[in-house]
Amino acid sequence: MASPLENLETQLELFIENVRQIRIIVSDFQPQGQNVLNQKIQGLVNGLQEVDKLKSQVQDVHVPLEVFDYIDQGRNPQLYTKDCIEKALTKNEQVKGKIDAYRKFKANMLLELTCVFPNELAKYRAIRGDE
Amino acid sequence: MMMGDQFRSKVEQYSPKSSPRGARSPVVSRQDSTGTLKTTISLGKNPSIVHSGPFYLMKEPPGQSELTGATNLMAYYGLEHSYSKFSGKKLKEQLSSFLPNLPGIIDAPGHQDNSSLRSVIDKPPICGKDLLPLTSVQLAGFRLHPGPLPEQYRYVNQAPQRKHKNKHKKHKHKPGETLSGQEATTTDIGGPDPHEKKHKKQRKHDEEKERKKRKKEKKRKKQKHSPEHPGGLTPSQHSNT
Repeated sequence: MASPLENLETQLELFIENVRQIRIIVSDFQPQGQNVLNQKIQGLVNGLQEVDKLKSQVQDVHVPLEVFDYIDQGRNPQLYTKDCIEKALTKNEQVKGKIDAYRKFKANMLLELTCVFPNELAKYRAIRGDE
Repeated sequence: MMMGDQFRSKVEQYSPKSSPRGARSPVVSRQDSTGTLKTTISLGKNPSIVHSGPFYLMKEPPGQSELTGATNLMAYYGLEHSYSKFSGKKLKEQLSSFLPNLPGIIDAPGHQDNSSLRSVIDKPPICGKDLLPLTSVQLAGFRLHPGPLPEQYRYVNQAPQRKHKNKHKKHKHKPGETLSGQEATTTDIGGPDPHEKKHKKQRKHDEEKERKKRKKEKKRKKQKHSPEHPGGLTPSQHSNT
């Protein structure tokens, strides 16, 4: 059985195809085409009903609002995914850099403090343990 | 006396009466050089008493979380494949490359033709009503006049078809043929480079044609004039002109 998203995609494609056919009929309208046009318009209503039925199946799908900006600008929404991944990677690297720097700083700090305040640092180590 | 005065002035300075924070105890730096403060009691979610010895304001270190930014989160969540997929190949910018089967021009900004998704969020449509098939009376509103659409609407409709046709024309294009204005304006699918190439090709073809024409004309002139005028141009002179 197809997934809810696939069902929705199929329904939307059928709807778009229906609209495309209406456009062709309307672009050079012939009197005998009225019945076909009426059927197609009813098809639009049916299509919307089908899409509406599938609404409940895709309630758990969350779409980031930023993707809409990409689509509205006529850009490929996969670029959003790409940008997100790249941003996450950059942030991950930055945070790792900070953590590493703090670790080094702490080690150096303890080293230097031990030289200057050996007794206090011994007490400190006794409280903190071997950190 | 001096000390007492100083103390009084300090107390007055930090008096709850004069404090802008009201009756709250003021923040005063207290020095504990004697080491008498042996324990630190921290309240909150996890109240704890830490034996801090000579260390003032010593707190429990924050609990170490299992997952931090120090780990490669891309590998942790198994997203390396997705990363290499998106970073490796160059993605096409246009929306039409993501939805190639969608008819119409979809690469234009949505706000131009009022088709932006953002507008659906900002101004949600009226919903909650049942979708019912149209009655015959309602369908009467869709009775159309025979004949083609007016010019301004036709242009919008035919644009995607033209795009499609041009793709075929592109392959059928014979050397020496000049491109019509329509083609030149709608073949911007592959970016600016193919455009330039086409123009260059066109120019070359035009130049070649002109050269051939000139040569033919000159030959004709030669044939016409040579018997009567022996002092015509020599071939070397021709090439110079």
